[in-house]
Amino acid sequence: MQQEDETEAQREGQGRYLYCIAGSGERVSLGAIGIDGHNVYTIPYRDICAVVHECPAEPYQSTDRELVNCWLLAHQKVVDEAWQRWGTVLPVGFDTIVMDKDGVGAEDNVRNWLQKDYDNLKDKIEKLKGKAEYGVQIFWSPQVIAQNLTKTSPEIRQLEEAIKSQPRGIAYLNKQKLGGALKKELESKADWCFRDFYERVRRHVDNIVVEKTKLGVQDAQMIMNLSCLLPKDKAAELGEELGKINAIDGFSVRFTGPWPPYSFVGT
Amino acid sequence: MEPTRDTHYTLVDLLDRVLDKGVVLYADIIVSVAGIPLVGVNLRVVLAGMETMLSYGVMQEWDQKIRAVKELQKAGLVAYARATNLSGEMTYAKSGWH
Repeated sequence: MQQEDETEAQREGQGRYLYCIAGSGERVSLGAIGIDGHNVYTIPYRDICAVVHECPAEPYQSTDRELVNCWLLAHQKVVDEAWQRWGTVLPVGFDTIVMDKDGVGAEDNVRNWLQKDYDNLKDKIEKLKGKAEYGVQIFWSPQVIAQNLTKTSPEIRQLEEAIKSQPRGIAYLNKQKLGGALKKELESKADWCFRDFYERVRRHVDNIVVEKTKLGVQDAQMIMNLSCLLPKDKAAELGEELGKINAIDGFSVRFTGPWPPYSFVGT
Repeated sequence: MEPTRDTHYTLVDLLDRVLDKGVVLYADIIVSVAGIPLVGVNLRVVLAGMETMLSYGVMQEWDQKIRAVKELQKAGLVAYARATNLSGEMTYAKSGWH
């Protein structure tokens, strides 16, 4: 709890906002490029450093959407800057603020953490050298896929044919049946696609994290959402494979990156 | 195809990463309230709002497509319309997969 009579100046400096860990022992200022224009600098330990700014030991919180987006983008810009400068970074998630504790200042706490966790951090930096993260999201159009299934599935084709010549009551029941059959076919098709595409992507990358799919729109549903780690110079190869998937009737691919390896630095 | 970094969708993709991922620190030196590290707790709510807004923009597009389908139905292109109706059921079924 902050004392009420504490001045702004005293509170400032009690926290260190963390952007990333970089593979450099340099003590350097990156300038006023941080969130809200804060001065960003490094806290080195041996040959690694934490990229931080000085702030009160309070989280960034707001219900102003625009402001939050600005913060997130500023965070990413600093991580990008460090990434370009030092080649390899371990990004830290937004709003991670180290505070002072039990008489130990925030800056010392950051340094102590680098020291305690040095082997692990150094190991991660080495493993991520020259690599980047890419987002791969694959969508399909259920309309197009369903139409194609109608052509290829004998069961569905038979039902469709039967409905045309049947009296209304029976046709209605068979329409219900057709809906169920198509749903089942679509589900197994989705499973098959997931396995096939996953395998095709896997051949071109070092590591994959399967992310939750997000709600798409009706004619473009997300069927898979992957974070992929790969050497930057292999992105073209992965892009070529994704181009093939993108060219299949009813499918589309979103390929984003290169990002700092956010998904591959957790414990 | 080439990877992109600068479209509307890549922004959403990126913000997800910045918000949810990254190096994990010992919780005892991270700013927290009542023992719960406050890593973007409120922000998630804000972002949820943003996604709704985005989907609203997308929904307008969807709405136009539905209208177009209705026109097609009127024009007697039954096969296309039927596939579209079935996809309506698929949307519901999909929530069961994931």
